[in-house]
Amino acid sequence: MRQLAWRLGQSILLLVGVSLCSFVLLSAAPGNFFDELKLNPQISSATVSALQAQYGANRPLPERYARWVASIVRGDWGYSLSYHSPVGGLVWQRARNTLLLTTFAVLLAWMVALPWGIAEALHKGGWIDRTGEVILALLLAMPDVLLALLLLLLAARTGWFPTGGMSSTDAAELSAAAKAWDLARHLFLPATALALTTMPILARHVRSAMVGVLDAPFLTAARGHGIPKFRLLSRYALPVALNSLISLFGFSVGSLLSISLLVEIILSWPGLGPLVVEAVLARDIYVVVAATMFSAACLIVGNLLADVLLYCTDPRIRPVHS
Amino acid sequence: MSEQSKSRSWLQLKIVLAGALFALTLLGAASKAQSPQPTAEIGRAGGRITVALRTDPKTLNPILAVDTTSREVIGAMQADLVHINRQTQRTESALASSWKVSTDGHKYTLQLRHDVKFSDGAPFTADDVVFTFQLYLDEALNSPQRDLLVIDNKPIAVKKIDNYTVEFDLTKPYGPGERIFDSLAILPKHSLEAAYRDHKIGEVWGVNAKPEEIAGLGPFRLKSYVAGQQLLLERNPNYWRKDARGKSLPYLNELLFTVVANEDAQVIKFKSGETQILERVGADNFNLLQKDSSSKSLCLSDVGPGLEFVFLLLNMNSVDATKHADIAAKELWFRDLKFREAVSLAMDRKGMVRLVYGGRATPIWGNVSPGNRLWLSANIQYPERSIDQAKALLKSDGFSWDANGALLDSQKHPVTFTVVVSSSNAQRTKIATVAQDDLKQLGIDVRVVPLEFRALVDRVMNTHDYDAVLMNLVNGDVDPTPEMGLWRYSGEMHLWDMGEKTAATPWEAELDKLMESQMTTTDYATRKKLYDRVQEIVAQNLPLVFLLSPDILVGAQSTVGNFRPGILDPYALWNVDEQFIRPTGATCH
Amino acid sequence: MNARASTKVFVTLFIAMHLIVILPGFFSTQGYAEQSRDVPFAPPTRLHFVLADGQFSLRPFVYGWDRAALDTGTYEIDRSQIYPLRFFTTGSPYTVVKGWVATTHLLGAEKPGRLFLFGTDDFGRDEFSRMLYGGRISILAGWIGAAIALFTGGIVGLISGYSGRWVDSVTMRLVELFMALPWLYLLFAVRAILPLRIETTDTFILLIAVVGIIGWARPARLVRSMVLSAKERNFVLASRAMGASHFHILRKHILPQVSGLLLTMAAYLIPQFILAEVTLSFLGLGIGEPVPSWGTLLAELQKYNVLVNYWWMYAPGVALVALFLIYHWASTTIQQKVEVPIA
Repeated sequence: MRQLAWRLGQSILLLVGVSLCSFVLLSAAPGNFFDELKLNPQISSATVSALQAQYGANRPLPERYARWVASIVRGDWGYSLSYHSPVGGLVWQRARNTLLLTTFAVLLAWMVALPWGIAEALHKGGWIDRTGEVILALLLAMPDVLLALLLLLLAARTGWFPTGGMSSTDAAELSAAAKAWDLARHLFLPATALALTTMPILARHVRSAMVGVLDAPFLTAARGHGIPKFRLLSRYALPVALNSLISLFGFSVGSLLSISLLVEIILSWPGLGPLVVEAVLARDIYVVVAATMFSAACLIVGNLLADVLLYCTDPRIRPVHS
Repeated sequence: MSEQSKSRSWLQLKIVLAGALFALTLLGAASKAQSPQPTAEIGRAGGRITVALRTDPKTLNPILAVDTTSREVIGAMQADLVHINRQTQRTESALASSWKVSTDGHKYTLQLRHDVKFSDGAPFTADDVVFTFQLYLDEALNSPQRDLLVIDNKPIAVKKIDNYTVEFDLTKPYGPGERIFDSLAILPKHSLEAAYRDHKIGEVWGVNAKPEEIAGLGPFRLKSYVAGQQLLLERNPNYWRKDARGKSLPYLNELLFTVVANEDAQVIKFKSGETQILERVGADNFNLLQKDSSSKSLCLSDVGPGLEFVFLLLNMNSVDATKHADIAAKELWFRDLKFREAVSLAMDRKGMVRLVYGGRATPIWGNVSPGNRLWLSANIQYPERSIDQAKALLKSDGFSWDANGALLDSQKHPVTFTVVVSSSNAQRTKIATVAQDDLKQLGIDVRVVPLEFRALVDRVMNTHDYDAVLMNLVNGDVDPTPEMGLWRYSGEMHLWDMGEKTAATPWEAELDKLMESQMTTTDYATRKKLYDRVQEIVAQNLPLVFLLSPDILVGAQSTVGNFRPGILDPYALWNVDEQFIRPTGATCH
Repeated sequence: MNARASTKVFVTLFIAMHLIVILPGFFSTQGYAEQSRDVPFAPPTRLHFVLADGQFSLRPFVYGWDRAALDTGTYEIDRSQIYPLRFFTTGSPYTVVKGWVATTHLLGAEKPGRLFLFGTDDFGRDEFSRMLYGGRISILAGWIGAAIALFTGGIVGLISGYSGRWVDSVTMRLVELFMALPWLYLLFAVRAILPLRIETTDTFILLIAVVGIIGWARPARLVRSMVLSAKERNFVLASRAMGASHFHILRKHILPQVSGLLLTMAAYLIPQFILAEVTLSFLGLGIGEPVPSWGTLLAELQKYNVLVNYWWMYAPGVALVALFLIYHWASTTIQQKVEVPIA
């Protein structure tokens, strides 16, 4: 328990670090939200500087950071200059959609990667392994951008899948079951694109972890004792391989959020991706910081999960701070 | 359909234009003769039109909205006193049924329509108008519209004469006249007064506001909003406009905006019939759609060049010579008119139009796009591209070439510079690539540097740390007055040399005078003469090297009635109150 | 095909591909920036062997395009004139190394015939030549990025995992911080702050270096978790009990176990950094025009009309996949050789 509390404390420190870094980085980038107004011939520079003063954009960095921290306490998470509203609700509306997409994609990726990697490891050097590796390599070689575009093309050509959005325009009138089906149809393309980009990496790690374990002397010994193959796999090999797979799981959860950015944009999924890119380009700083914090929080949760699981499965790992 | 045949003849005119440049002079004459008086088709009630937006609307509050998406949505929910017809580019009555101008040109007396109601049922009177302008003009609110209503540092004055008469005092004769009222949404005093009193006007009417909180005089009112996905508007039963047969507009029951961030995805949705209207699409996608438009029953319209102009900006700002010695050295070339002329002569504008826009743009040599029928001068020269002439010009100016063909200035320094472009605009990068190759033929080594948009603006507007920029400007109206800041030497948009205290050159001094007097003249013919001279000076002195003006490209399903796009924003939805859905598609071409 | 033969084939391919991209000037048919504005999106030039009179010509030749048809934007072959292909032709100059300019190209059509082996892009530039030049930039990007990331990540992971305690704790927080940071925005900021007047290729290498520096976090994390479980194994514990130095244990026992992992990492890190370059180009932050990279060439495909209409623009994509496959094969082969049985 103390261990967990310690980790949580660390996580909060990490979040503070992330927020500071993004704050400094975004302030270092030249230009600010109001610059575009300067290019509008109908708006005078006096108005632009008055607006800057009104929203405190011309204050020094520490002061802005302090104000932002104060707004977190209020639950606002800063103020979006382009949306004229507190950031918290704005980002959460989108984050929910991204979470839905990535959860689905992670599940899909692992559901394919685990059996794939194990099958390859078991038939190491055989034709299953070789064809499997060729397919994985091809998938790895396919840029996620291209993959998403090809899926978009598929949708456009066949008309089987909706192109973008997460519900049909008439979704409000549908029954619950029809709504779920509608959502699944919209989810399919972006989730497939995401899963296909991470799956090969996962599958190869599963394979390499399994191969390492299967070649280990204790397994050779176990094999020598005549333990059946399935039992060998499930009771001896998998638990040992789990060690590196668990930290991989944490990684796959956290990183999907950043991978999903491009896919969300290309396939028009109303998640954080389009919002963040728009906000970065518009220098709507608080939206970007909040989105970054959210993505960092997801990563931390993923890692925490991995560590806790690791602690449970591998007793050799001693608590770092006991 | 009469309006469709008109749009086709306009298109043909454009093709002639792209093919043979001398036809441009023809256009000036022809366009005035053809300015159509559109007659709206009688529609049928019901149905829904779906339009894709690139981003979410940011706010539904007209006082705060600056971005085009928000303004487009607000445009369907609100109404103005006087409206510019996007097709004729002239004003027509809206909430003000008529107006009178005092003989000295200072005062505008507007007669308001009777029996008009807001979408929540409250009556519309002069009090709402006075209240609205109080908001726009309130310095504490910093509304982006405020600057429009300040003429020569004096805000216009608004006075209620009676319940249905309002008097505006513009303090001096004002060239654009009643165009000033276009797109200024008239707001309900009864529902916003309390918020204004409590200094909360910046917090009301956000995208997440409850539908019943928002009242407007426009054809539609808010029904629901789902973040990142869609905004649904429904018919405003109290809308004041009626069609020729006296039936209440709008015809449509609902207007749905869906958010589709990616243009390709927007095109696919349009092709599959998920959306009915495609607002502004790129040339590549337009040409692609046109290939199979007949089979898909789509009406595609090339409305012709819009009010956007793309140009090469050579830095002539006075920069700190110790800090930016390299830029200061390059400015010696840039400030040299013959150098600028040579650069302009080397530009393959036709090549840019063909390679980058698939023919869907028009080369320009001056600041007014051929789409601006009321103001384009017929006296602008259109010199043919000629590398030889450009080289001769440079040679006469003391430039020379080394053994490898690289251009050297009179001090024998090689001529090279960088051109900054916005990284988010693929077309502009491509134009820069053509320009780069053109200048290479003069022996100038040019590097293209893609920069993120805000960083680019920061350099152009604030630090002046750049050699050259390829950028664009879009005019909000056909009238010359929005260009005041660009052409006056003290103007805030005097891009090539910002913050001049006195005119740096005689022609800049003349430009300043001309722009000043066109603004305070009310007679169109006199203003036209003044502005013709502005165009002439600009084309001769090339403060900006004008390149091209992209066409406005829009599309609609053939089932959409009264689809009559114009070159002014909003291109396709400006008459959404008249648009309707036919039971079966009509022929477009 | 036995293992030896396949090894030979792959090694040959590996060398051939790198030779081509290291010496793009010689293998290309023209310069990467040469525009032929009259022939945008021209399909690949077909090589012919049979003359008009039906005679077979051992020397392949090409036809030109019909002028009148070109003006209307269609590509029709004009059979009135043939242009035979020649080896070691003289063409546009290119720099082999700084100061050595050559003009000899491996292949070319007799003037004024034009040879576009893989068609042209939207400016009428030869896609084949651009692909070769682009390969040079992209492969360089992959190497630099992966080298930086693996080197930094490997060392941090080893130290962190082996020493444990607060060092481990601090570095892992740092890793998490780096992995949580939005590197895309960092890149926006870096490019915008950089001065304008540096060579486009330098900008690019700088950006890739930034990606590499950010990319160390993942390898570090994986190496660390590997070391963490390796150092608890009996033989390591035994070795430590016998008084072996930390350096000895790291080098003799831990590094061999980690090296397999490092190679697996390299196997997808190099392609991944080439992909990072593609992403940068997608956001318009890649190498500036007119210098090509596989990223900027593939970014063309993101335009819907290119994606559907001009199949020859996929060529860099095919090259990319081919290159990745070769890398993949190379890494697995090396991995198998290195995999010292743990004893």
